[in-house]
Amino acid sequence: MTDVAEEKAPRGRRATMGARAISATILIVILVAWEIAGQAKYVNPFFFSWPSAIFQASWKLIANGSLAQNLVVTAYAYLLGVAAAIVVGSALGLAMGWWKTFGDIIDPYVVFFSAMPRIALFPILLMIFGISDTSRIIIVFIGVVFPIIFNAYIGAKQTPRLLIDAARVFGYGDNQLFVNVVFPAALPYLIAGVRTGVTLGMIMVVVAEFFGGSSGLGQNIAQSAQLYKTPELYAWLLFTSLLAVVLVKGADRFERWAMRWA
Amino acid sequence: MVKDLYKSFNTQNGALPVIDKIGFEVSPGEVVTIVGASGSGKTTLLRMIAGLESPDRGTMTLDGKAITGPAPERAMIFQHFGLMPWLNVMQNVVFGLKSLPLSADEKIQRARESIARVGLMGFEDFHPKHLSGGMQQRVGIARALAVRPSVLLCDEPFAAVDAMTRLLMQTDLLGIVTEQHATALLVTHDIEEALYLGDRVLVFSSRPARLIEEIPVLIPKPRSPEIRTTPEFQALRAKVWRLLQEHTK
Repeated sequence: MTDVAEEKAPRGRRATMGARAISATILIVILVAWEIAGQAKYVNPFFFSWPSAIFQASWKLIANGSLAQNLVVTAYAYLLGVAAAIVVGSALGLAMGWWKTFGDIIDPYVVFFSAMPRIALFPILLMIFGISDTSRIIIVFIGVVFPIIFNAYIGAKQTPRLLIDAARVFGYGDNQLFVNVVFPAALPYLIAGVRTGVTLGMIMVVVAEFFGGSSGLGQNIAQSAQLYKTPELYAWLLFTSLLAVVLVKGADRFERWAMRWA
Repeated sequence: MVKDLYKSFNTQNGALPVIDKIGFEVSPGEVVTIVGASGSGKTTLLRMIAGLESPDRGTMTLDGKAITGPAPERAMIFQHFGLMPWLNVMQNVVFGLKSLPLSADEKIQRARESIARVGLMGFEDFHPKHLSGGMQQRVGIARALAVRPSVLLCDEPFAAVDAMTRLLMQTDLLGIVTEQHATALLVTHDIEEALYLGDRVLVFSSRPARLIEEIPVLIPKPRSPEIRTTPEFQALRAKVWRLLQEHTK
């Protein structure tokens, strides 16, 4: 059967307890070694700090509300940019796959912008919109929208001929075909695009905040580094990473839910 | 009714004729089977009758009306099933009823009956992925039957299932079609299948497909698989085999 989802390897079985225990042990060993190396100055604590200092700094940032404040700023630009990219990218990509000529016309642009390092467009946005939410939202949008367009396009184009024939035989017109066959058939591809977009969006928003923000997770990473507040730097890095993990896991869950038939 | 049908495909080496002046008629309640070598254009013929492709020349009519495009009155069973993988069994059968003027409840009721008729009761919530090939084709049959088509088009319906299942399903389909007095047109490359299921067998030459001979199968219905061993059946089988050999390049 030409079942698109079958081409993808199933997300592996759960790790065994033994493997998990070993993972945890490795982490503990690294943290302990880091702590000793940092406090005994085997490595320069100025650059690397040590875990207990980082956890202390993290706790302080949580307790005094800095984390929450900055998280809101980052999440705002991220969520708006990603949401807009998902809506616009899906619509455009599916339309490209459905109307072949339209797809052929737009395709070179998608290829160009997919290849280009789109963060390089950020200075232009800064020039136009200044250091603002708008410029960050737009750069997240630009970063995320292309993989989504690309995936939706491929997905819609690869709708199995057989499924389209089957629907036509039972009296489906063009619009009904699009809604009832092309869209669901493209969904696995679309979701793969969204997964890419979720991580890419995180990179875009953090980098944009490095030099185009007055607050936010990325801005705090950059600031702490400039002021040589090493424990804070690692604390912000930790928050950013944890947020990324939560988002990726969330995307995973969503994928499993949306693809439960595959 | 199909009359003087021609069809060719455009290839790099010019037009490749696949169907050459084919004409025949199917009476209500009759099961006509078309047998021919693989790639002989018989599937193309069926796709034209389904409205998925249009002929270069010739006319096709159903109950006096010209065939211009696909419609559920000519529901089709596909070799590779053509089920929507994201829909479960019930939803797949209801999918086929989309363009019928029925309420949602009526559609579910009809789908339920059809699913029961092909022996898939209890599997309504299963997705195609979790069904065997034979069961998937049963869903395909249920979907086509549920619309109560004027003519049921079957394109190599059992070519993609294993031999054991094929024998069982041929008998099942025959039973259903006979019981519902359905009109059916079935394409196959399996001579025994063509003879076992058909009231009349149309033997096609290889490309371009021409109608070589019409062979009535006068074995009364309902038929059981045992008829395949009768001398009468074997004689017909030998005849079709000889015809196909003579007309296959």
